[in-house]
Amino acid sequence: MSGVRFFGQFLIDCGEVDASHVREALNLMDRENASIAEIAVKLGFMSDVDVKRVNAEQRNRDMPCGDLAVDMGLLSSEQLVEVLQRQRSRRLPIGQALVSQGCIELDRLGVLLDEFKADQAQFDTSSVSLPDGLANRRVTQYVLDLLPRYMLRVGGIRAKVGEIRAFEDVPEFGEVRVSVPMKGARGVDVAIAADLAFSEALAVASSGLDPRDLDQEMVADGVGEFLNVLCGNAGSLAAREGHRLELGAPDYEAELCDGWTVDLAVGVGRAAMVLSTY
Amino acid sequence: MTRKINVLLVDDSRTVLAQLERILAEIDDVAIVGLARNGAAAIRMTNESNPDLVLMDIVMPGLDGLSALRTIKSMHPEVSVAMVSSLSGDASKAEEAFKLGACHVLGKPFDTDLVESLVENVRRDRQTAAVEPE
Repeated sequence: MSGVRFFGQFLIDCGEVDASHVREALNLMDRENASIAEIAVKLGFMSDVDVKRVNAEQRNRDMPCGDLAVDMGLLSSEQLVEVLQRQRSRRLPIGQALVSQGCIELDRLGVLLDEFKADQAQFDTSSVSLPDGLANRRVTQYVLDLLPRYMLRVGGIRAKVGEIRAFEDVPEFGEVRVSVPMKGARGVDVAIAADLAFSEALAVASSGLDPRDLDQEMVADGVGEFLNVLCGNAGSLAAREGHRLELGAPDYEAELCDGWTVDLAVGVGRAAMVLSTY
Repeated sequence: MTRKINVLLVDDSRTVLAQLERILAEIDDVAIVGLARNGAAAIRMTNESNPDLVLMDIVMPGLDGLSALRTIKSMHPEVSVAMVSSLSGDASKAEEAFKLGACHVLGKPFDTDLVESLVENVRRDRQTAAVEPE
C-alpha cells in the first residue's frame, strides 16, 4: 500500500513515464496555467499594484493569495469565486500536459486516471465524529481518520479513536510526548502522549531494530516519525482541497497545555492524542 | 556484470535511516556510503563519498532537503537524488522537487518495491551511460 500521492508520482511508480517527462510537463503547466493574481488582473478585479501589495503581505501572513486579497479588501468574495472557477476550468492538468508532449496516449490517460482514483480511494473516509467547537475540522478529520490504518501499518498496533474532549491535563501515563506542527491558515498541532510500552512497540516496528538496541532518543524518534507520516499524509489530502500546510519537524519537548484530548484505545500500552488548533 | 550502486541516506530521523538501511540491505549490489542527518551534511558527504544515489528527506532542521537538492544537482548533476517525504502527496511539494532535478519523490510509509525499482532504474542508467560513447 502506498501513501497519498499525486498523479505524476503515480505514473512514475507505474513505469508509465520518468522524472524528466514529469519535469517537462510541469514546465509546460507553468507556462500555460495562469495564477489567481493574473486572472484577477485580466478580469479587471485587481490592479498590478494590488497584486504587489498582496505579494508583500504574504511574507507576513500565511494565507493563499486569493483569500488574502479578500481579507485586504482588494477582491470581493464573489470575485474570488469567479476567478477560481475560471482558473479551474482552464487549467492544464498534468495528465493532459503529458499527452500534449507525446508521453502518454490520450486513450491510455483515461485508463490511468481510473487506476489512480481506485488507488487513492482508500483515503476517502470520514468516520470520526468531531465535537462542536473544534476548529480546523477538515484537517483534524483527516488526521483522525488516517490514524488507525497508519498505526497498524507503521507500528503493527491496532488503534481506535475514542472520546474527544476539551484538554484538561497531560495524561498521567504520558512519559513520551511528541508534537508535530501542521502550520498554515487551517493548521493543527498534533501531539501524542504515551507510555513507554506503546512508544517502544512503535519504535521497534517502525525501525526494525532489536528492542535491546533502542535508546531513549530512538524511542521518542519512533513516535515522532509516526506522527510525521500521519500528518504528512493528512496534509496531502488537505492540499487537494486547497488547504496548504507546512509540516514542521517533531518537537520532543512539547508543552501540551490546551486544545483537545483524543482518547486512543491501542493494542499495546497506553496513548492519547492532543490536538491544538490555531 | 552488475554495477554496484552507492547510496547516501539523509534524514534527521534515526528511525527512517534504520528503515532505509533495512530495505536496501535486501537489494543485491547496493552499498550505503554514508548517513547524514541534515542538508549541509548531505552536501559535504556527497562531495566526499561520490554516491550514485542520494535518498533525502525534504523536511529537516537546518538546511532542508530542497535547498540541499538544489546545491547537490548544481555541483554533481550526474548524481541521482530522490526525495523522501510524508507530504509528497501534496503536488506542490513534489512538483518543486522534480523541477529542482529530483529523479523521484518517495512517499512515507515506504513501499519496498518502489525503493527497489528506484535503485534498479539508477543502476540501469549508470550501466547505459558507461557503455555509451562520449
